[in-house]
Amino acid sequence: MLTIGLTHYLIVAAVLFCTGLFTMITKRNAIGILIGVELVLNSANVNLVAFDRYLGSERMDGQIVALFAIVLAAAEAALAVGICINVYKNLATIDVDSASQLQG
Amino acid sequence: MLMRFSRKQIVLLIGVMLVGVSLASPVALADAGDALAMDQTGVTSAEQLGGLIEAFVFYFVAGATVVCALGVCFTKNIVRMAVWLFGALASVAVLYFLLAANFLGAIQLIVYAGGTLVLLIFGVMLTSKSPWARFEPSKWETVLAIFVCGALLAGLCMVLCSATWPGVEGTVPGVSVEAIGRKLLSVYVVPFEIAGVLLMIVLVGAAHMARQEQD
Amino acid sequence: MGNHTYELLLALGVLSPFVSFWLLVFFGPRLGKPLAGWVGVVLGMGVPLALSSYVLVNWLGEVESGQAAALTASALRFQWAMIGPIAIDIGVKLDSLTVAMYFMVTFIAFWIFVFSVGYMSGHSDEVAGKSKYHRFFAYLSLFAFSMLGLVVSSNLLFLFIFWELVGLCSYLLIGFYFHQRVPQYAQMKAFITNRVGDFGFLIGLMLVYFQLGTLDLDEAAVVFAQQYATQTGIFASTFTMFGWSLATIMGVGLFCGAMGKSAQFPLHVWLPDAMAGPTPVSALIHAATMVAAGVYLVARVFRLMTPEALMFVAVIGCLTLALMALVAMVQTDIKKCLAYSTLSQLGYMIFGLGCGAWIAALFHLITHAFFKAMMFLGSGQVIEGCHHEQDMRKMGGLIRKMPFTGITFLIGVLAISGFGIAGLEIGGIKFGLGGFFSKDEILAVAYTRSFEWEEGDFSKHQEQGDGHGGHGAIDRSDENDRIRLASFGQQESSNLEVLASGTQADHGHAVEHGAENPHSTNEKHSGHGTAANAGIFANTPKLPKWMFWLAIITAYITPFYMMRCWWMTFMGKPRDEHVHEHAHEVPLMYVPLVVLAVGTFVASYFLFRPLIADASHVGSSAAMVMAIDGTAHTEAVHHAHVWLQYGVGGSFVVGFLVAIAIYGRGLALADRLKRVAGPIHTLLERKYYIDEIYDLVWVKGCVALAYVARFFDTYVVDLIFNSLASVTERLAAFSGLIIDNQGVDGVVNGVAATSLDIGDRIRRPQTGRIRNYVLITAGIAAAVIIGFLIWGPDVGGVPIAVAGL
Repeated sequence: MLTIGLTHYLIVAAVLFCTGLFTMITKRNAIGILIGVELVLNSANVNLVAFDRYLGSERMDGQIVALFAIVLAAAEAALAVGICINVYKNLATIDVDSASQLQG
Repeated sequence: MLMRFSRKQIVLLIGVMLVGVSLASPVALADAGDALAMDQTGVTSAEQLGGLIEAFVFYFVAGATVVCALGVCFTKNIVRMAVWLFGALASVAVLYFLLAANFLGAIQLIVYAGGTLVLLIFGVMLTSKSPWARFEPSKWETVLAIFVCGALLAGLCMVLCSATWPGVEGTVPGVSVEAIGRKLLSVYVVPFEIAGVLLMIVLVGAAHMARQEQD
Repeated sequence: MGNHTYELLLALGVLSPFVSFWLLVFFGPRLGKPLAGWVGVVLGMGVPLALSSYVLVNWLGEVESGQAAALTASALRFQWAMIGPIAIDIGVKLDSLTVAMYFMVTFIAFWIFVFSVGYMSGHSDEVAGKSKYHRFFAYLSLFAFSMLGLVVSSNLLFLFIFWELVGLCSYLLIGFYFHQRVPQYAQMKAFITNRVGDFGFLIGLMLVYFQLGTLDLDEAAVVFAQQYATQTGIFASTFTMFGWSLATIMGVGLFCGAMGKSAQFPLHVWLPDAMAGPTPVSALIHAATMVAAGVYLVARVFRLMTPEALMFVAVIGCLTLALMALVAMVQTDIKKCLAYSTLSQLGYMIFGLGCGAWIAALFHLITHAFFKAMMFLGSGQVIEGCHHEQDMRKMGGLIRKMPFTGITFLIGVLAISGFGIAGLEIGGIKFGLGGFFSKDEILAVAYTRSFEWEEGDFSKHQEQGDGHGGHGAIDRSDENDRIRLASFGQQESSNLEVLASGTQADHGHAVEHGAENPHSTNEKHSGHGTAANAGIFANTPKLPKWMFWLAIITAYITPFYMMRCWWMTFMGKPRDEHVHEHAHEVPLMYVPLVVLAVGTFVASYFLFRPLIADASHVGSSAAMVMAIDGTAHTEAVHHAHVWLQYGVGGSFVVGFLVAIAIYGRGLALADRLKRVAGPIHTLLERKYYIDEIYDLVWVKGCVALAYVARFFDTYVVDLIFNSLASVTERLAAFSGLIIDNQGVDGVVNGVAATSLDIGDRIRRPQTGRIRNYVLITAGIAAAVIIGFLIWGPDVGGVPIAVAGL
């Protein structure tokens, strides 16, 4: 247990993932869902970097992919906030359950 | 807009930031351990010491990460959720440092803590009549979510624990920023450029979406 | 001069009008009325003229110093494309003929451009309320580009491309006033008639491509000669058509292109109609340059012609020159009269080439270009001055109102009539004008071929030549060349003497070169292979005598109709007061006339004859040209030549006298003659009814065929389809009622109802709530993982195979 290996990190990432998922399911606030998404993305990044650290041959590709993921997450957050604002403008609320016009 | 924050909230924010910094400080310790191990290769005690320190730091940070993530899960208040998220992100940054990905850790702090999180908070402020607004999910939904997520986590952990991985153990030197930069601008130059273009599009798109209708 | 300076300068001269074209297309409207024209003059033709003058002067020097052949051999070529195994080169055909033609085209075109500025200032340039002024000069520039490109093309493919481009320009310019009916029809007629000829050209091109395996002019000639020598390739084919071998068909096919463009009988019909275009266009395209392109083409592919093909060329040329001259006699429209005279003269050139008088034909081409362009411009001035009146019967007495035009026109008449006095020399220069020398020479060769020639004559000359150690044939012809030069320049202006020796020198060089390495790669661009080529002409047949007689009779008719034309226009009493009152001259228009008149004099004597003679060494089947063209000057024939000189030289006197006798006192006598001649006159006036015959055969024939096809369509094809349709209709009614409504519709409706039902059930879980979807997804993922762990394959504690790591 004292030697920290790949599995340790992966488990932390799994926890992050599941909490993110839980956040997405239970939060009715759109921003809350966004926060859950960020957690999930982070868990993926942790996975990438951990694999890179322990299994990668050159130990860089994983980091760079994670870097791109961060950049894209930032972009995604910006867009998502924009969408939230629009939803708020149109529906006067940010409750995602009320934004269900597309239901079957 | 900032004027609408109460003093209490500002104090809270500053406090969380201090926590982040203190979380990051073990990195220096870990690096020192690394250096020790590197300098005196072959000296078992130094290696063991480095390993011990690393294990300690890892458990500490991993714990902080899990706690913060759970905090995000179970807080009802959206602003507090954001604060917990900051904690989680900062802890992950420290994890990156531990994984010898120093540059990535720094980016994690700068982009997430400095950019994304602030963005989220702005989003909160712009979209709620009151920053403390709550929307509760139904009880059975929460229960179901706990069950599903717990099952998933359990499944994942079982898989992970039973898997064996080949590869490097022990400490490894960090990757220099220069090497990342070179690779980014040589092998990954096309994705890099595409990401640049994407960011610009997002910039324009977000500005367009969020702008006030001027009729 | 550097190694490739000539080619580059010539190419630059080709591109300059192209630039001018685009400039005028895009910025023409902004440049406005006079300015756009001057842009065309300067950029479209001024620059090429300057370049070509420079090249001409220096080239004369090269010829003098014997460098010309080497320059010709090493002319620039760039590989442009590979078609199969055959490389298509883009390059400049650099020899004396190119230089001479290039200068002729640029010089004449430049003055016609200048004239055009004056001409257009007096003409309406508006179509549907929009000015087309710039468009006129854009087209002219495009034409200049294409024509110059045609002249310098070293490759049959490029020659063909530019060939089609000049055709397009001709089309565009004939129909410049496209809002009027007549030009519309004329432009279509020109284009379609040319397509007929070009079809033959394409067949010829394909034969060259497939049988000779190259499209380069020089290379093709070498291959052709080699194939004849070894009886392989095109000569090995046993294919015949109309009794022609494949090689002959190739030559005839290439000539067909020339028939279209140079308006040879029976494809001549478009040229008179093309006079519907603006007069400068008639002068430039339909008198001086484009119609000469056909002759130029035949001269260029002369080395690919068999004796049979040349005989065909001669027959066509002979028919054209005679028939068209007769028609010219009765024309009353001044431009039509000139058009038919052009046709007749083109016939002379083609006839000359067919006879083997390569040098004389091209010399005639160039002198004719000068004076015919001048006469057309003169007619343009007349028409312009007379308020757009083209009928000569309404003119008369214009010489007082238009002295410059009248006098320059008269010079043209004299030149085309072969004005000159045999034996009279003034200041050491023989007294005569362009036509006097060139036509006389064509006739001399025709005489030789008709009377003095025996089949096999040619090989005799070859044997004599062999006696002189291989260089003999050429040496001999050099002698002839000198005789010829002397007989035309007589007291050798020092210039000519030098030129003659220059040709000798570069001649020897070419032959030596060829003798040393007849099969080497050098041959590719060196353009000899002429000696080997000689064999094919060994059996050149005698020419039928009627051809010579037709040619010489036409030589008497030419002065008659030209003088008639001039007299009716400029002399006598004014026959229409209104026209006479209006008549005037414009400096911008008569200055080019004067320049071209001077050019006619100069071209008659100096520059061109020696240049073309020089070109003939490398540019044609030298041996044949030497032998045939040269025979006219051997001692035995020289006598006949001198006799011919008097015969031809006298022709203009007779022709002029007859014309003046008939038209000297107005049109009364002519009208009486017309009544006497009756049906013959009508036949000529209606141009042998060729247009009507074409209309009957081709147009009406097509329409009749269409009627037949329609009949077949209506009563046979439609019947079948209609009955089929009704059967189908019955079947459809049956299947619709029974099968479709009950069987198929029942199934389809059942499926639809079921889908609706299922859809209704399925839509319930679709809450539209994003969180529920996430929950379901996560639940399924968890179920899969756990299911996999419980029921999945047991792989010894490592359920995740880390493959590849």
